[in-house]
Formats: sequence, structure tokens, C-alpha cells
Amino acid sequence: MKHSTMPERREGPVDPMPKSPRPEEGGGPRRPETGSPDKDSLMKRMRKVDPKQAERYRQRTGE
Amino acid sequence: MRLFGIETEYGITRDDVDGVDPVVESMELVRAYLAASFERRWDYAGEDPHEDARGFRVSGLQQDREEDEFEKRDAHRPFSFHEMKSDLVLPNGARFYNDHTHPEYSTPECRTLKDLVTQDRAGERILRRAAQRRNKALGGEHVRLYKNNTDFHGHSYGCHDNYLVARSIPFPNLVVGLVPFLVSRQVIAGAGKVGTEAQESGHVPGWYQLSQRADFMEAELGVDTMHNRPILNTRDEPHADRGKYRRLHLIIGDANMCEYATALKVGTTRLVLDLIERGAAPVFELDQPVTAVKRLSRDPDLKTVVKLKNGQRLSAVDIQESYCDVARRVLFGTDEETDWLLGEWAETLQLLARNRSRLVGKLDWVTKQWLIETFMREERIGWNDPWLASLDLEYHNVNPEQGLYSGLEAEGQTWRMTTDEGIEEAMRNGPTDTRGGLRGLCVQRFSDQITSMQWERIQFVGGTRSRNLDMGDLFDPQAVRRCAQVFQEATSPAEALAAWSHGKDREL
Repeated sequence: MKHSTMPERREGPVDPMPKSPRPEEGGGPRRPETGSPDKDSLMKRMRKVDPKQAERYRQRTGE
Repeated sequence: MRLFGIETEYGITRDDVDGVDPVVESMELVRAYLAASFERRWDYAGEDPHEDARGFRVSGLQQDREEDEFEKRDAHRPFSFHEMKSDLVLPNGARFYNDHTHPEYSTPECRTLKDLVTQDRAGERILRRAAQRRNKALGGEHVRLYKNNTDFHGHSYGCHDNYLVARSIPFPNLVVGLVPFLVSRQVIAGAGKVGTEAQESGHVPGWYQLSQRADFMEAELGVDTMHNRPILNTRDEPHADRGKYRRLHLIIGDANMCEYATALKVGTTRLVLDLIERGAAPVFELDQPVTAVKRLSRDPDLKTVVKLKNGQRLSAVDIQESYCDVARRVLFGTDEETDWLLGEWAETLQLLARNRSRLVGKLDWVTKQWLIETFMREERIGWNDPWLASLDLEYHNVNPEQGLYSGLEAEGQTWRMTTDEGIEEAMRNGPTDTRGGLRGLCVQRFSDQITSMQWERIQFVGGTRSRNLDMGDLFDPQAVRRCAQVFQEATSPAEALAAWSHGKDREL
């Protein structure tokens, strides 16, 4: 079977860390217009999370 | 005829030791699921990630050198390659193994979204069950598993969605039709992430973005999957009759906790493939698609617009709405699932623009942002607090006693497509209308007579000559059911294969 060949489409140099818009520019995180989760149980569960858990968490690169 | 499946690499760690060995931990976790000792079954002969769908073969992948280095480093271990992989095929037709030091669960092939979501959830429970057994052996709740895509230190691991596609669709048509869709799909399918990072660089806190994977996209097209990751992966490894089929292997997606997000991620992609097949997909040409993926991800307000080559500027929601509108015109009435999808897709895009709170429990990035911001208000902390990355991580913890998503689900605040009974059933049996279920049935009935397996073939013991069940073109649901009935009723694989072959001859 014959395969079509795709030309490479080149993109200019990519900034690996393009800046997020500043909050005052209209970007950045915003509070969803929601009520609150059940504070008694979920907030308790969240407070139990070790603040350093992510700092210690290391993986090898996968696919 | 469209089949799909999801492969998920899980993050794994232990909290009782420093310097966790991910090779051993992943291997031990997979093996903990086994009731009997490990037997080498998976046949890697059908796997070749060097074939490129653009019509050529690459001599090497960027990851090859790193893999060689790992292989050297791992050479001192008292395990063979097969032992380290610990490749299992489960009674539901799924594959469960150690892939690149991550326990990976690949669902069996599915034909409906309900089956797919149920099988994906079954994977979470299978991993959880394996962790329970491993923890029992370790004497405590030490192993933690995360269904996410980053370690917040620049290491990413994947959740790949796969689709069976007719080889007759020219690959360039897939590229044109899919790239803008995939760049913008994160508004529905993003799992949300605190902060930013780049390949193997540090985590920068302070922001919230839609996607876990966007930071790791570095090319528009490419065959690589571990470095220089592409928006559209060009790996040509069909796991089916190569003359008739492709397997579209998408690596841009996040691992979703929300069932709704999983259903829409795969369902809308399936609809776009249907449009491409009919030559009806909308045509956009993004000026800089890789930059667009990152820029769109980093604006949870969804106001960012990206430039097309014709100078037009569109937001992610604009692009998705264009695809959705065309799909509604062309595909409405195809079947019940398609109509459900078209309605949910359109409604979700409207809610993203107007009333996002109604998507809590349905879309991961919205749900995670809601949880984290509630916590921030309660604790009076800001976006730079490192606690937030830990909360992000724990959202994906599959332990129902610890995971934040699980906590929300336990409160009944998440949308469910599945039932707990359905998930338990999916751990035991695969879909009855795909070769995935048939594969599982063969494992259930004739496990001790299987010598090797791959996605499209099962080889049984056969004396002087092996006996194969070839499933490279076994996709018609009626044919699958007939074949399954034969294997259900036969007393041996030889009898089943003879009856199946005789039945096929009679059809001819």
C-alpha cells in the first residue's frame, strides 16, 4: 500500500514556558461560581494532605 | 465500526522508604494482583514504535538512548526483561504491566462509551486491589497510586486514547482535521494542574492551568512519546490488519478522574473522526499549534485567543463550538450514543462560557479548581503555597480513603455513567462485542493452554504446530459474539479453533 508522505510543518522556536496572563490582565485563576463542598468531610480530608507530599513525589519519565 | 481504548500509566510511590525504586515497585505491584506465579505470555513481536504514519520508518527514537541507559542501570537486577515487564492479560481482556517504571492498565477494546468508562474505572479498582495486596505484604498502607500525568518535577507519564481508523483515510486528512480539535480539547478533557513546568525542569507554582500534559507538548507531529512529545503522535502500530486499519494513538490527553470528562474526551474525538471519514470536518490551520496548546491551557478564564494562518483569532471554546456545530449537522440521528454526545458536548461548551459551576463533578479541571479555591479561602493561603501542588496530587490518589476526587464521589457530588456493580463486573469480563472480551474469555477458559498473546493474536499450545486465533480483522460485533460462543462451548482451544474455522468456511 502506498503511504502519503506528510511534509514537516515547522513552527517558530517555542517558548517552553510561555507566561500565563497576569490576574490583573484578566487571566489567571478565578473562583468558579459555585457553592462549597461539604466542608466537614472534604476539608478535613484536604487538611490531612501533607503539604510536602508533592515535593517528595518523584517519578521517571513515562510515555 | 469505531473501537477505542485507553492506556493509563499510573504514578507510584511508597511513603515508608526514601529513594523508592520505581522498577521494583511497579513490578511488585503488578505481580501482587496475580493469584498464581507469573508466567511469561506477552508477545512483543507485534510492537514496533519506529514505523511512522507519514510513510517512513525512523531509525531511532529520542527515548532510545535514555532507555539504553536505564537498561544498563537495570542490568544488575536479578530479573529478566520479561520479569521486569510482568505483562499480564486479565480475564476482562485488559493488559496490566510495568511500562517504563509505571504500572499501566490498558482497557480492552470497547465499542460504547459506557463500556469504556466502566473499563477505565475497573482499571482503577484493579490497581487499588493490587496495592492493597502489596500493602498487606509490606505491613502498612505504604504504596500510593496516582492516576495523573506529572510528578511536579518535570517528569510526565501518559494516558493515551486509541481509536481504530480505516487505513483508507489518508493520514494528512487526520492531521488537518484533528490538530485544532486536540489543541482545544483540553477545555473539556483537561485534568487541571497547579503551576507550570517543562520537560525535566522544576515546578513553578503560582498558577492554575487546564491541562497536566500541555506543558510537555513540544511538536505538532512526531513518532516520539517520551521526549519532544507531539500533539498528534504518528506512531504506525495498528495492532490489526495493517492493510485495512490504523490505530490512532493520541498522547496529548490527561488521565481523567471524572467519568463525564472521559466520556466526552473519547466521544467527541470519535465524532471528529467520523467527520473526517466523511470529508466533513471543519478546516482550521493554527499558526503555532504547540504554543497554542500551552497558552490555552494557562488561561482558566478561557479568554485567550489563538491565531490561525488566515489571521483569524479564536478561543478554545470557539474552535470546539465549530466542530460541535458541524457534528450536529452531519451526525445527528446516527445512533443513540451519538445524539447523547452531541447534546452533552454543546451544553458543556455553553456552560463553560456561562455557568461553569454546573460542571463541578463533570470536568476535572473545573472540579479541582473549585476544591482548591475553597481550601485556599478556608486556610487563607495563596497560589504560591506549596500545599496546593500536594492537593493537586492527592486529587488523583486512587485510594478511596485518601483521594480528593474519591471524597467528592463518596459525597455524591460527581456525575456517574457507571455503577459499582458494573465496575465489579468489568473487572471480571470484557465487552461482549469486541475482541477484548473474547481475549478475556480465552484467558478465563484456557489460560493454561495459551503460549503467547498480543493485541491481535492468541497462540495456543498445539503440539508440533502452534494454533492461532487471529483477531487482526475481527471487529464485526456479530462475528465476535459467534466466535465467543464457539470458545465458550468448546472443551479445548483446538476444538474451538476448528469449529471457528469451519464456521468461517461455511460463510464463504
